[in-house]
Amino acid sequence: MPKSDTAEETKVEIQEAAPVDLLIGISSAVNPGELQQHVKGLESGFQHAEVSGTVIAYPGSGIEEAAVRDMQAGSTRLMPYSMAASDPTSLPWVVSAAAQRAICALALELKAKSCVVIHGDVGMLSSERLRLFTQALQEKQCDLVVPVYPSKKFDGLLNHSILAPLTRALYGQRVRYPLAQDFGCSSRMTQQLGENHSVREHSDSTLLWPVTQAAVSNYQTCQVNVDVQHAVQTEGLELSAVLASLVGSVFAEMERYAPFWQRVRNSQPVALSGNIAQQVSDGETVDAKPLIDSFLLGSRNLQEVWALVLPPVTLLELKKLARCAPESFRMPDELWSRIVYDFALAYRLRTINRGHLMGALTPLYLGWVASYVQEVAARSPMAAEQRFEQLAKAYEESKPYLVSRWRWPDRFNP
Amino acid sequence: MNSHMAPPKQSKSAGSATDPLWYKDAIIYELHVRAFSDSNNDGIGDFPGLIQKLDYLQDLGVTCLWLLPFFPSPLRDDGYDIADYMTVHPNYGTLADFKAFLDAAHQRGLQVMIELVINHSSDQHPWFQRARHAAPGSPERDFYVWSDSDQKYKDARIIFTDTEKSNWTWDPVAQAYFWHRFFSHQPDLNYDNPQVLEEVLTVLRYWLDMGVDALRLDAIPYIVERDGTNCENLPETHVVIKKIRAAMDDSYSNRVILAEANQWPTDVRPYFGDGDECHMAFHFPLMPRIYMALRQEDRLPITEIMAQTPEIPENCQWGLFLRNHDELTLEMVTDDERDYMYLAYSADPRMRINIGIRRRLAPLVDNNRRRIELLNSILFSFPGTPILYYGDEIGMGDNIYLGDRNGVRTPMQWTADRNAGFSRANPAQLYSPVVMDPVWGYQAINVEAQQSDPSSLLNWMRNMIALRKLFQVFGRGALKFLPSANRKVLAYVRQNGNEQVLCLANLSRFAQPVQLDLSEFDGMVPVEMLGYVEFPSIAKQPYPLTVGPYGFLWLEIQPAPPTWDEPVPENRTTVLETAREGEWEALFTGANGDVLKSSILPEFLQRQRWFGSKSRQIVSATVTDWCPLDEESVLTIVNVELNGANPENYFVPLTMLYGDAAQQVKEANANAIVAPIRSVKSEGLLCDALIRENVSQALLSLISQKGTLSSKGGIIRGVPSSLLPELTHDEKSDMPARRSSAEQSNTSILFGDRLIMKCFRKQEFGPNPDTEIARFLTEHTNFTNIAPFGGSIEYSTNGQSPTTLAMLQGLVTNEGDGWQWTLEELGRYFESCAHTVLGEEDQKKPAGIIVGNHTCIYLEAASTLGRRTAEMHLALAPSDRAKDDFRPEVLHPDELRQLSEELADHATRTMEALKANLSRLQDNAVEMGGLVMSKRRDIVGRFRRLTDVKTRLVRSRVHGDYHLGQVLRSKADFVILDFEGEPARTLAERRQKQLPLKDVAGMLRSFQYAAFSGLAKHTTRRPEDHQQMEPWARLWVEAVSQEFLRAYRESAVGSSIVPSSDTDFQLVLDVYVLDKALYELGYELNNRPDWVHIPLAGILSLLS
Repeated sequence: MPKSDTAEETKVEIQEAAPVDLLIGISSAVNPGELQQHVKGLESGFQHAEVSGTVIAYPGSGIEEAAVRDMQAGSTRLMPYSMAASDPTSLPWVVSAAAQRAICALALELKAKSCVVIHGDVGMLSSERLRLFTQALQEKQCDLVVPVYPSKKFDGLLNHSILAPLTRALYGQRVRYPLAQDFGCSSRMTQQLGENHSVREHSDSTLLWPVTQAAVSNYQTCQVNVDVQHAVQTEGLELSAVLASLVGSVFAEMERYAPFWQRVRNSQPVALSGNIAQQVSDGETVDAKPLIDSFLLGSRNLQEVWALVLPPVTLLELKKLARCAPESFRMPDELWSRIVYDFALAYRLRTINRGHLMGALTPLYLGWVASYVQEVAARSPMAAEQRFEQLAKAYEESKPYLVSRWRWPDRFNP
Repeated sequence: MNSHMAPPKQSKSAGSATDPLWYKDAIIYELHVRAFSDSNNDGIGDFPGLIQKLDYLQDLGVTCLWLLPFFPSPLRDDGYDIADYMTVHPNYGTLADFKAFLDAAHQRGLQVMIELVINHSSDQHPWFQRARHAAPGSPERDFYVWSDSDQKYKDARIIFTDTEKSNWTWDPVAQAYFWHRFFSHQPDLNYDNPQVLEEVLTVLRYWLDMGVDALRLDAIPYIVERDGTNCENLPETHVVIKKIRAAMDDSYSNRVILAEANQWPTDVRPYFGDGDECHMAFHFPLMPRIYMALRQEDRLPITEIMAQTPEIPENCQWGLFLRNHDELTLEMVTDDERDYMYLAYSADPRMRINIGIRRRLAPLVDNNRRRIELLNSILFSFPGTPILYYGDEIGMGDNIYLGDRNGVRTPMQWTADRNAGFSRANPAQLYSPVVMDPVWGYQAINVEAQQSDPSSLLNWMRNMIALRKLFQVFGRGALKFLPSANRKVLAYVRQNGNEQVLCLANLSRFAQPVQLDLSEFDGMVPVEMLGYVEFPSIAKQPYPLTVGPYGFLWLEIQPAPPTWDEPVPENRTTVLETAREGEWEALFTGANGDVLKSSILPEFLQRQRWFGSKSRQIVSATVTDWCPLDEESVLTIVNVELNGANPENYFVPLTMLYGDAAQQVKEANANAIVAPIRSVKSEGLLCDALIRENVSQALLSLISQKGTLSSKGGIIRGVPSSLLPELTHDEKSDMPARRSSAEQSNTSILFGDRLIMKCFRKQEFGPNPDTEIARFLTEHTNFTNIAPFGGSIEYSTNGQSPTTLAMLQGLVTNEGDGWQWTLEELGRYFESCAHTVLGEEDQKKPAGIIVGNHTCIYLEAASTLGRRTAEMHLALAPSDRAKDDFRPEVLHPDELRQLSEELADHATRTMEALKANLSRLQDNAVEMGGLVMSKRRDIVGRFRRLTDVKTRLVRSRVHGDYHLGQVLRSKADFVILDFEGEPARTLAERRQKQLPLKDVAGMLRSFQYAAFSGLAKHTTRRPEDHQQMEPWARLWVEAVSQEFLRAYRESAVGSSIVPSSDTDFQLVLDVYVLDKALYELGYELNNRPDWVHIPLAGILSLLS
């Protein structure tokens, strides 16, 4: 069993507390005052029985830890956990992944029956929201509960265009947010996440993909609609770095689980509970022109790199796309899904340096965004939702293309 | 000692692999450090050079590196003459370099296998130097095998016939001869000296402690010598191997030993033991037959050798290869096959060495890319772990002008630069010249060029390895050949749980059509695995396919794809859920019952060796009755509905396991898992209960205590025999139970060394003949030459005759079954006759006299067997007071006529089959086949002559499937086993009364088969002897048959079970022998055409 890197004082606390019914782990630094407020709210909202077996774990570091310890009160136990110091340049989800792993390790030590990992803004730390997770875990016997966040038409496009449809096509799980910042786990799921990540070599930048883990373990995944939105994490970051980190991580998982996903045929719906009506809304309008310009710039400068990755028929399609008028700029779903698949293969084969490879994907991704923006600009939020469903189906329909190229990566192909 | 005083068990040191069965999924790459890469430019490869090439090997996709010997050595046998087992030859680096290599390999996920050469050492080893100076009889001296004479062990063959004249060499220092099975500078270690094994175990622990993952045991059949034997595969050898394995298992986990035993598959099988000897063994005879099949464009050489390959324990694996560092060995083929191979693959005599061909893969197939790919496709898809020889992945050539086998041991060709990029030394300094000719030279064939060529063989190999690794079925699945009329196409299915792959290989230069019966996969879809191309759905009709020249197809058989939005069926490890542990009722009913019936039990049954209808599709498998055996286990009867066949019932004890017990099963006995189970409190596994010792003990108690269990729909009773107390000596607690690994259609459990319980898996309502006869003979007769019957477990349900779930018998100490023992005796007989020419004068003498000069033991044994057979028949035909089931009956003339017609019909059908296959028979059989065809009328007429019998014929219960494999050789006597009859027949047929001479005929035919099998085995070692030895084989059959019959008749004299008149006795016997020979002919035509000559010769002999 993996051990969290815990202080002596905390080890004693763990021994005293174990086993616990529920561990709530906060995956990034926390404001003590805000936390205290939420804990009080939580205690008043929970039944006594629910609270008495609950531990809230927060990242312990110096002043914050002392402040939180000082305020400890009530029947909910607060417990710090330690994380290895991260590189200050690390991307936020990389830091979160390290925290999520530490929380899972702590949950194992505490022999927690359930564990809910939540984002550091503690928006999820209310009895009603947490109960969505615990009920699914306990009553529906789900192993993994992931949230469906409310979204606007142009939010989370990287998720909707690559992460979610790719996860769905590969692992057969129709999950809206495979890289959720909040999730709930059964004890065996916690063990899976903890153990799997303790035995395998992983760099600090390895992300945690609970949906993938649940799928390969044949564990049941559920979704719950939540009314919380976290701040956009990608703001201010260079897009190619974001793509390299997030999409690169999915590609790395593909290599690891190739024997599994190549046997998955078609996807299945994942149970969803909670209030649906409030989930999708209109957002700010987006100007497609700079996106198309980025695509065209890439088309002029990256032809040689694309030619190493993409087959001639795709290159021809892209060439045609570069020539068409901006208002009729549309990237077909099949073309986009095959582009993603070809990049996944090039990532596996190390056709070119992986950093350069993901850089070469960036203008193509912007091209897809431009195409999407133009297509749904005038449509309702619900129509935009259906557009993602259509794209996901295209990924699934193109999956044999991926499998064949993966198994026989001959460059002499159409 | 109190239990709490026991010292804590030392934890096992784990290897670099995490899966205990990692070797089943491995791709092994064999290399010599010397030949791979030279880092210090001295002309010799070394460990630092190898480390530099690990990225290449990782990229290629191999998972385990097998290093040829790298120890200090005079290098007179490529390092297999070791002078120090504990360090590294200075040419290759230091021990630190080896450790650095080991770490670097492990970091890349590569396992490492090294050599453990324990049969012999170099004569330069300090052990030998010490021994030759030590006093005779001292422990130091006894590290090796000494003799004052070179006449000891004279039945042992010489292996290196090109160089050695004797297995003994005189040592002037010791003033004695020392024993060596290989070169005279490689004295054999003496395992009769316990210190030798201790030293070997020290060496083993030294390398395993360092982290080495696997050890190849070199020349393992020869490590013990005994006079009067051929000094190969002796029982004492297995004792040593078991000790080595036990030492390994005691302190290390996830480590492997691989046996090098260049023997027939049946002779290699004992090296796996009960899963407690070697994890792996090479399959030597398969390799030359793959080449033979390719050249002959005929699949038979492959299917035949696979038919002779026995099942091996579940935790064991065959090692498969196309080429290695030695010659392409032709020891394990017949004379004709060897001649053919020489003609086909070694036009230049320089290509031959010892008994084999010293060439690499690519030159052997004339550098034809498609042939190379085809052979590799077979290697990667056959049951076993593939082993690649370095350089074959780029199609390296050889140099037949170098001595010994050095032509296939030249430096690896990395680039087109100087010395093929292997070394920057002066070319003259290299340990061996690089290959330089225009076709095979390093300028044309090298890694660098192939890496940059997307269509290169190297890239093809990398893709194939990656593909194989995606499918565990290739390493772990069962194999079934699919028959087809076109013998140029080899078609087979690999199956492991839900994974099933259809493989086709076209052995011909031209495209070939084939039609396959895939009806068991009706409704499923083949998906071509390389390109993920969906083929048309399978139906009940024959499935037509076309395969291109030297083409191969791998098709994954998948369920038909569900339509869009239809929920995907939950077929991945469905979990059965109950509220509490041990809630069996909840498991067999409701949703759990449905999923058990529709998917879990069908999938489990298909995986079991004892399941009899593997070729059929299971529609459903329902638990129709069950009862608890103990708190965790139940006994169940499962009714299996089959597509296109009658339903079958199976006895399936089940158990629920949790915690460590479940984990242990997962790691060591995964095939016993039925499904995962989950209760509110815990998770566990539903398993075959017969893997648990306490279940075995509970079944034993059920019999010994005369227990009764009430099932949902019937009663299960333990019925002890009167002999049981005597068999157990009333000491049940001293009898640990273990499951026998040699299970086929039943599951056997051994209790200590006293009892064996046979659990009959397939159930038919009605008395089981095996139990019925064993009980009858034990309790109602004085015939004691059977395994004593201890009791049975009987199950009865409403309106059905009782059926036997299990039978308990005394375990008989024995020297092997009659077939095996006869082959061993025949080996000695042929060795003894080898130097004697059978003259004309000899042929006038009675066969018994001449044969008796060479094997009086076997003649005595044949006499004993004849006597025991008669005694068995007399016991099975008791006087009138016997109950009806055993009362002998007189055969009425009408019944005799009917019998005669049935036999004649059988003969007619067989002759038609012979006619249809006549043109395909091999040269040695075609003439005999024609002759037999010409006597067709005579043959059919002989059966009709049965009605001429004048004396009264009596039929009674008989053995029913009597041959040498059904008797045990025990204490200079025989014990007769297995009264089950031919399993393919119905219960009613097996219980029918028959003429006892049918059994006698079966044994006589078995003698002939044994003689010719023994001859084939003998002449593989001494091919030049075949012509001379065949008359000796015939003489042996004649003498042994006469002796058997003489004793049989003497013992049966005065009884009604055999015709009293000589004429009638001979007539009936001849009819049955002829019938049996025709049965064999039909079998061989369908399965082993190479063996057709044996029944043909038998038929002609009878007709003359």
